[in-house]
Amino acid sequence: MNVTINEEGAKALVKLEGRLDTTNADQFMKDIMPLMEGSQEEIDIDCSDMEYTSSQGLRMFLMLQKNVTARGAKLVLRNMKPHVKEVFDITGFSHIITIL
Amino acid sequence: MSLKKNFASRLSLYVLVLTAGLMLAVAALSALSASRTVKHEADVQAEKVLDNAILEIERVITEVERAVDNLDWIVEQNLSDEEFLYTVTQELVKTNPNVIGSAVAFEPGYYKGRPYFCPYSYEGDVSHEIHSIQMGNEKYDYPTLDWYQIPKLLGRPYWSEPYYDDGGAGQRMSTYSMPLKDAEGNLIGILTADISLEWLSEKVSSIKPYKNAYTLLLGRNGSYIAHEDPDKVLNETIFTSALEMADTTALYIGREMIAGHRGMVQFRNDDAKSFMVFGPLSNGWSMGLVCTYGDIYRDVNLVTLILSMLLLLGLVGLFFGTRSLIRKQTMPIVEFTNSAMTIAKGNFNARIPEVTSRDELLRLRDSLAFMQQSINDYILELKTTTAANERYESELYIAREIQMSMLPQNFPSRRDFDLYAMVQPAKEVGGDLYDFIEVGDRVFFLVGDVSGKGVPAALFMSITRAAFRFIGSLGLPMDEVVHRVNNSLCDGNKNEMFVTIFAGCLDLKTGVLDYCNAGHNPIVVVRPDGSASFLRAKPNLAAGLFMDFKYEAERLQLERGSRLILYTDGVTEAERSDKVQFGEKALLDWANALNPDVSANASTLDLYAAVRRFVKDAEQNDDITIMSIVLK
Repeated sequence: MNVTINEEGAKALVKLEGRLDTTNADQFMKDIMPLMEGSQEEIDIDCSDMEYTSSQGLRMFLMLQKNVTARGAKLVLRNMKPHVKEVFDITGFSHIITIL
Repeated sequence: MSLKKNFASRLSLYVLVLTAGLMLAVAALSALSASRTVKHEADVQAEKVLDNAILEIERVITEVERAVDNLDWIVEQNLSDEEFLYTVTQELVKTNPNVIGSAVAFEPGYYKGRPYFCPYSYEGDVSHEIHSIQMGNEKYDYPTLDWYQIPKLLGRPYWSEPYYDDGGAGQRMSTYSMPLKDAEGNLIGILTADISLEWLSEKVSSIKPYKNAYTLLLGRNGSYIAHEDPDKVLNETIFTSALEMADTTALYIGREMIAGHRGMVQFRNDDAKSFMVFGPLSNGWSMGLVCTYGDIYRDVNLVTLILSMLLLLGLVGLFFGTRSLIRKQTMPIVEFTNSAMTIAKGNFNARIPEVTSRDELLRLRDSLAFMQQSINDYILELKTTTAANERYESELYIAREIQMSMLPQNFPSRRDFDLYAMVQPAKEVGGDLYDFIEVGDRVFFLVGDVSGKGVPAALFMSITRAAFRFIGSLGLPMDEVVHRVNNSLCDGNKNEMFVTIFAGCLDLKTGVLDYCNAGHNPIVVVRPDGSASFLRAKPNLAAGLFMDFKYEAERLQLERGSRLILYTDGVTEAERSDKVQFGEKALLDWANALNPDVSANASTLDLYAAVRRFVKDAEQNDDITIMSIVLK
């Protein structure tokens, strides 16, 4: 899993690449820590090169979502591949996370 | 043991080579110095011997000359007395042991008109009696001989060249000739005294300062007067001898000797490195002393040989001594090696030998001891860690037993329905669960998958199972069941753990299935005719996330003979080593191919076997749960 974060003023542009599974979920948590502790008003995550997410990965997105909601900011996931989007749909995460 | 492999031997050899080199250099220098001294002494000695020899021969010659000189006027006074002439020669021979013959040879016609008159006395070769004869006649024409002619011509005394006299004595001799003159100074004859060359040779041969040394006497023309080889006397000169020699230095020596010079010359004499000292005698002869260097250096060579032997012995002693010493000194290394080997073989408490010296060996010993201590400490730590790990693993194993025992293992055996389920965790403990509760003619069932794996997931799983066990038994509508389970999970869930659930309630009388999906995979419904399809239920949201989330339940009418296949994503996301997943399509294909008459147990285990066949030997990456329900 490769995480790239670019800050543009109050907006954070994030790029995710590869697989997000149990083995690297902890590392992913550390990688997105700047987003959790930051003061960005909008976090825009490009998921076009994200190949897979496990339930552990979903948990990470959920924690990020709750963090963002708590500080009144906005989180958007974009360009998700159909089979990844399916995981979000099945688990109902599509209802609580904005996926465009 | 090879020299190269033995430290002590190798080091000893180095010391030996070094010492041998130094000792050889010293020995060579000392031998050279000794040689020089000896040679110098030999030169001096040779000259002294030669001088003494010359003096001795000179004495003989002088005696002979003086005896003849003294006789001169007596003979001249008594010429008329013929008998006296015999007597006087007899007396000369008798009184001079060195003189073997004496003659008074008159000029032809001088003595009473006789053509030859030569009274001659000589000592017999064997008897040593003195014989007197008149020697001159036609056969022995003495006036033509050298010993007569040359002094006659010179007008003064003369030592003849050596010759073999066949007139009287029959010996090899040299003759001293003195011209006799009358009052007017006219030559009337020659007075002679002969000396034996055999005798002279013996005399000269006795001068032998070294074993192979010899002395020679040369006449004025280089002919041998005396030589250790008697055949050379009269027959050869130093020049004819020189022609036979490879080293022509002898020619130069010959010239120097007949010129009456003194000298010392080195040359090769019959392949022996030699030198010759020579000096003149007063009568024109020359004496030479030939010495070989072999003789001179014999003592030096002997001393050098003895010294070399001693040196060799000393070196051998040095080698063994050094080796023994080094062995003794390096013995701790051998012992350390053995200790290290013993330690390496697993005896970590092997004794390391003590050393008394305060040097590198002590440091080596200390490092060995330090290594040993470190190994022991490490092993102790490893044992502790291993023990802790074993305890941890054993606890995990117990946890697994407990977790598995939470899930119902006894499946109902009823006429109206058949149910079977299994869980295969990826780790010791897992986050998947299944459960079912029979309430009257209804059966409440559930399959769930907790996010994550391991102990946290297992704990959350057991909470979920406990919640469902209580809530499910109340016989509530499905949306209410899931709602309550969700709320009980949300309570105090700070870690954002969640669980996807498919929960259902099957009315065994009517075949009505009420179900609620909380973010779980779609279940498979197999119709009595064997055709299979996914039940695309409303996803709602995984449980444990939001308190009071409004879950919606749905309803499906099942025909008798229908089969439900519930599973977790461990089935569809089971991965081969090339990362290809089992997938929903393979699951549906399997369900379509399934014999509709098999039991719930058979279809559950068959699906698990199909997944195992698919992943082959790849490691299981997620918990696998399968539940089959058949409505009869």
